[in-house]
Amino acid sequence: MEQQYSDGFTRRRFLLTTLIAGGLSAMGKLPVRAETTSSITLPFKRGERPFVAFPEKRPLMVMTTRPPQLETPFPVFNEDVFTPNDAFFVRWHLANIPSAIDLQTFRLTIRGRVKQALSLSLKDLQEQFDPVEVAAVCQCAGNSRGFSDPRVAGGQWGHGAMGNAMWKGVRLRDLLEKAQLENDAQQIRFDGLDRPVADGTPDFLKSLSLDDASADHVLVAYEMNGEPLPFLNGFPLRLVVPGWYATYWVKMLNDIEVLNHEDHNFWTDPAYRIPDNACGCLEPGEKARQKIPISTMKVRSFITNIIDGATMNAKSQVLVKGIAFDQGYGIDRVLLSIDGGQHWKATRLGKDFGDYSFRQWETHVELKPGQSYQLQSLAINRIGESQQLEAKWNPNGYLRNAVEAIQVRTQS
Amino acid sequence: MLVKLTSFFLIIGILLGSLETEILAGEIGNSNRSITFPTDPFSFQPGPGQEIANSYCIICHSADYIYMQPPHSQERWTEIIKKMKDTFGCPIPDDSITHLAEYLMNQKDLQSATLYPINVPKPSSSLGAGTGNAIKGQSIYATHCINCHGVHGQGDGPIGKMLVPPAANLTVLGEKSDQELLTTIQDGRPGTAMPSWKGDLSAQDINHVLAYVRSLGTKLPKK
Repeated sequence: MEQQYSDGFTRRRFLLTTLIAGGLSAMGKLPVRAETTSSITLPFKRGERPFVAFPEKRPLMVMTTRPPQLETPFPVFNEDVFTPNDAFFVRWHLANIPSAIDLQTFRLTIRGRVKQALSLSLKDLQEQFDPVEVAAVCQCAGNSRGFSDPRVAGGQWGHGAMGNAMWKGVRLRDLLEKAQLENDAQQIRFDGLDRPVADGTPDFLKSLSLDDASADHVLVAYEMNGEPLPFLNGFPLRLVVPGWYATYWVKMLNDIEVLNHEDHNFWTDPAYRIPDNACGCLEPGEKARQKIPISTMKVRSFITNIIDGATMNAKSQVLVKGIAFDQGYGIDRVLLSIDGGQHWKATRLGKDFGDYSFRQWETHVELKPGQSYQLQSLAINRIGESQQLEAKWNPNGYLRNAVEAIQVRTQS
Repeated sequence: MLVKLTSFFLIIGILLGSLETEILAGEIGNSNRSITFPTDPFSFQPGPGQEIANSYCIICHSADYIYMQPPHSQERWTEIIKKMKDTFGCPIPDDSITHLAEYLMNQKDLQSATLYPINVPKPSSSLGAGTGNAIKGQSIYATHCINCHGVHGQGDGPIGKMLVPPAANLTVLGEKSDQELLTTIQDGRPGTAMPSWKGDLSAQDINHVLAYVRSLGTKLPKK
């Protein structure tokens, strides 16, 4: 790890932060009381998830405890177009996460192929750069992996490894401009304060091309839904890359390195790669000829107000509502079927919070007594891309965007 | 608290020299955010191979990483373990891999609700040597101690080796009495970065850690 720090200053900062973390946590802070209320079983084998309230969080579905991976219970997505901070999913790769951060000493460094290396406090970011806001969906690359068929190894998420928030921060481009890039700048690499436990584990780093990093809406965010970021979502700074899978949204961001070459660190190559074809998919057992880094999200939609397996009252006007999102072209329309995909009807779209946000939709359907229905939603974005009617498969369980189905029955 | 703060900043001061003044002047209470991470809810279930899983897997992650996985074949588990060793630096010896794969393949579904709630601190009980459980201690060690004292307790964790004085080598504690070690874990060690753990760990947890620390000298990997 030490070689990542070209100057002693940054490395000392890390040491300081860690020591303060250890020191303060030992100074009489009470251990966390993780209360369990119940558990829920996702509809796949070994899908039982206890509800536990981690610090600053309401009880969420625990996939793993250390490093923490917490899933948002799906009914939360029916409450509001923005996912509350205390319900927002959590996913860390490395268990050595600081347990305290002191803003007096915290700095974001920008270094590498720059003419003017920077070391900025949170206050510097807030005072020296224009604040920018963007509503954007943050979704784990492996969201819904538990539904892969055949099953694959990795975090066995249901559909709740995603969330939509109003992010506020500074444009990454503005920071890079202030640092004055050298002419050979090619990729920008991001590092957070999380560190491996074992000596041999690669530190978690992600990189973007200079073009992708310079996009209007790529932010170094210090607020989420009007509040400082929750600790477990990356306090005090998080990279926000609207339209891209969450693996790029580096948490506890404290170091930005400008590279003059393509980054081949472990977490970009070979990790987080997808088959290099139009669907990013393979037949089970097939090997990819070539792989490329995962990048932007595929269009998805969900029904949020009806639970799979529900028994409902038959009515001529039953409200069905949900959410849709894509990589940032924006949602053009969402269709609903109640007969297993034979017929589709248009739905009304809700308020537009921007191209990267969840877009709510709703419609009414007639449900007759004593029937079984299969409800499905299908989103199409503004360039005509739609969800897959049947789930595609890849060995990492990435990119799922199948039309999901829920079954309901009506009382006779 | 004042004494603790003083000795704490003394250490920082020695390490960081000129930064000392800046830190002492800062209003740490206003700008510091901290949380306490839950400790692991449970360790691996009894069975042949449990010892290997409890020695190596939980260095980097809690046991629930395994129990949320869909059933994998022994061959698939072997691939996964080799990836943990070759890519992520898990110090598992080669001759344990097959045994561990077999153990992981045979894990039964866990009713997680019966294993939680996790780490609700127990009321303080008396400290006592010989009452701890080394398996439980290892999980606590992996969460709280490993960054300084290292995977094998040799004081060579990523933080420990940067400290002045360095973190203690726990594999060579033969001369220390249990009571001395308990006191050090409980109250910290003045003049070093070793903090007091009595606010974070229950007395029983400290007993578990001691039991694990006592086992460290016998567990070094074969080179």
